[in-house]
Amino acid sequence: MRGERGRGLLFVLTVLLSLSMASAGVAADKVIKIGAVYPLTGNIASTGLDCRRGVELAVDIINGKYPDLNLPLAKDAGLPNLGGAKIEIVFADTKGEPRNGQAEAERLVTQEKVVAMIGAYQSSVTKTASQATERLKIPYVCSDSSSPALTERDLKYFFRVSPHDAIFVRDQFNFLRDLEKARNVKFHTIAALYENTEFGSNVGKQILKVAPEYGYRVVADISYAANATDVTSEVGRLIKASPDVLMHASYITDAILFTKTFKEMGFNPQGITTFAGYIEPGYLPAVKGDGNYFVIRSTFALDLAKRKPLVAKVNELFKKKYGIDMSENAARSFTAPFVLADAMNRAKTTEAEAVVKALLATDIPGDQVLYPWIGIKFDPQSHQNIYAQGTLVQIQDQNYVTVWPFDSAAAPVIWPFPPWKSRK
Amino acid sequence: MGKFTPRQIALYVVVLVALIAFPLVVKGTFPTHVMIMFFMFAMMGVAWNLLGGYAAMFSFGQAAFFGIGAYTSTILLMNYHVNPWIGLVVGGILAALTGAAIGIPCSNLRGHYFAIASIAFAEIVRICFNNWKFVGAAEGLSLPLLPESLGNFMFHSTKVPYYYIMLAFLVLSIFICWYITVNRGGFYLRAIKESHELAKGMGISFVRYRLYAIMVSAFLTAMAGTFYAQYILYLDPESVLILPISVQVVLVAMLGGAGTIMGPVIGAVILIPLSEYTRVWLGTKGTGVDMMLYGVLIMLISAYQPKGVWGLLTAIGKRAK
Repeated sequence: MRGERGRGLLFVLTVLLSLSMASAGVAADKVIKIGAVYPLTGNIASTGLDCRRGVELAVDIINGKYPDLNLPLAKDAGLPNLGGAKIEIVFADTKGEPRNGQAEAERLVTQEKVVAMIGAYQSSVTKTASQATERLKIPYVCSDSSSPALTERDLKYFFRVSPHDAIFVRDQFNFLRDLEKARNVKFHTIAALYENTEFGSNVGKQILKVAPEYGYRVVADISYAANATDVTSEVGRLIKASPDVLMHASYITDAILFTKTFKEMGFNPQGITTFAGYIEPGYLPAVKGDGNYFVIRSTFALDLAKRKPLVAKVNELFKKKYGIDMSENAARSFTAPFVLADAMNRAKTTEAEAVVKALLATDIPGDQVLYPWIGIKFDPQSHQNIYAQGTLVQIQDQNYVTVWPFDSAAAPVIWPFPPWKSRK
Repeated sequence: MGKFTPRQIALYVVVLVALIAFPLVVKGTFPTHVMIMFFMFAMMGVAWNLLGGYAAMFSFGQAAFFGIGAYTSTILLMNYHVNPWIGLVVGGILAALTGAAIGIPCSNLRGHYFAIASIAFAEIVRICFNNWKFVGAAEGLSLPLLPESLGNFMFHSTKVPYYYIMLAFLVLSIFICWYITVNRGGFYLRAIKESHELAKGMGISFVRYRLYAIMVSAFLTAMAGTFYAQYILYLDPESVLILPISVQVVLVAMLGGAGTIMGPVIGAVILIPLSEYTRVWLGTKGTGVDMMLYGVLIMLISAYQPKGVWGLLTAIGKRAK
């Protein structure tokens, strides 16, 4: 009888062995495989799927012929310098966990034989995934993670296209300074409010660091747990500190909770500038008109179409494919495949060292990106895109409207924040 | 438990040899990673079993010990250049002491009360680490990359050394667990589990033996934590101190069979590859089917086989005779 126990164990091991053998990958010709790690299941799966849509549309454009789109490689089918080779994205699910980021990056490279990597949305996952590709000497282009630490590691194979949180924070202070000049007002005090995971604490740290440089005094420094169910004490502290401007870094559920609590308790600073949560697709449906007048950092807004016809054309394709408008997350993830394909095309190979060299020589002009940037060009040391910057949008009449930089604004910013009492 | 038949010994040897040969036969990085995760959770399951399986202390706070192990060796390495192997021992001792500090007030708690206290304890640890600047707070810590060697406990070109280290850790934990249970301490623990009053009546120091169990369990779990840090090379509270890790450990042990030496190993060999491979095959669809399968399996086992898979195998073995 005891022997049977051991035999059971042996059986399970045999099954496991055969499972691992069966999953070895097969390579195809004329196809360039790029790995993409995203949180496709788990509690931020909706964001991961959003990113995935952006990536898929980008690949459609690279592989197909889109003569009227001014994007890298849109006009030809595939990569012309590589005999028209097509891009194929191999997606992998991280569930939002750093250890899966590492495991999936390694699996994609060693089993699926991908030659480059994109992803992973959450900065902590991007950290482990890009560490894995660094060891395996595979280029990684990230256009959707915003922790400044990612490009402070001096990795050889890692590049970031999108702005990071330190840039976003500076943007908000620049906005305040521009506003002071334009409207002849003066701000003195700032309150920093942030959720306490990596993203929020990083933003908080940057706010505390940058505020004195602009001559603002930080009168409240409040961190909280993003899954909090009651924030009346936090808002109470804010009311007591009575700052001129509140800067708030949040995810979505806490953004909704704070909006409701601000209204209930009548918190009325001159303005509230925010990060992330207020621009998630679920925010406005939950708060409706109460979301008006919040200012949010963004890299993308559909009203950019007024100045950039490219945005309208891409959004049209997006809408045709998925039936919804392109969100900020989809737009961010959309960029990385182009940057990689462009570098491979110029390098005329997918060999890692040559691709890295080509990435370092990347110079994509501003009119070929979806954002109001000068373009894409990487810093030779940190590999951060030196032209990346954020924009600020404001919710006006329940729409996201670009309000800063003032020269790309679709509408003037509504400032100060109208008192809750006077709002319907 | 104590005596093995020759056939049994032969079987365990065959399994061990098969595991040692595995990386030589299967060359992929990913299968090796799955096996490493299997060993790691099996080890934590074995450590949990000392508490939950033998001493009726249903700890849902093992992530705290795991995290303490991971953070201790990492901080020592980063700030004081202490070798990770020494960090491993220090982390284990710290976790054991923390376990004792928690154990003294909590070891009189029974059943759900102990479970609740353990959750609360682990959450407190998580919140502290999340806000404690010295340990990187929410941003976490990236380990410095050292040249690869066994001495540095770091390997960049291959996972195989990690595989053997974790296998050795697992075998060590099984041995320690087996040694404790076949000796006096194990009988005391089981007596306490059956009836607190009776055990007390027989003169068994209730608190003392429970404390021993917590300390050994914490030490082993912290070892797995240090391993995790050296393996992933990045730590943050969200990846090592969260409740889902504690729950995973309990599941591994309960599914395999709590209170049996090999139960947690069987639980881990089913659950870990299942969750890894369903993620690979089904996760990319974004439908969450993998999570559902995982949930259904756990419900089925707990409903039909409360003794765990080990119990099922034993029953099949009996019928076959």
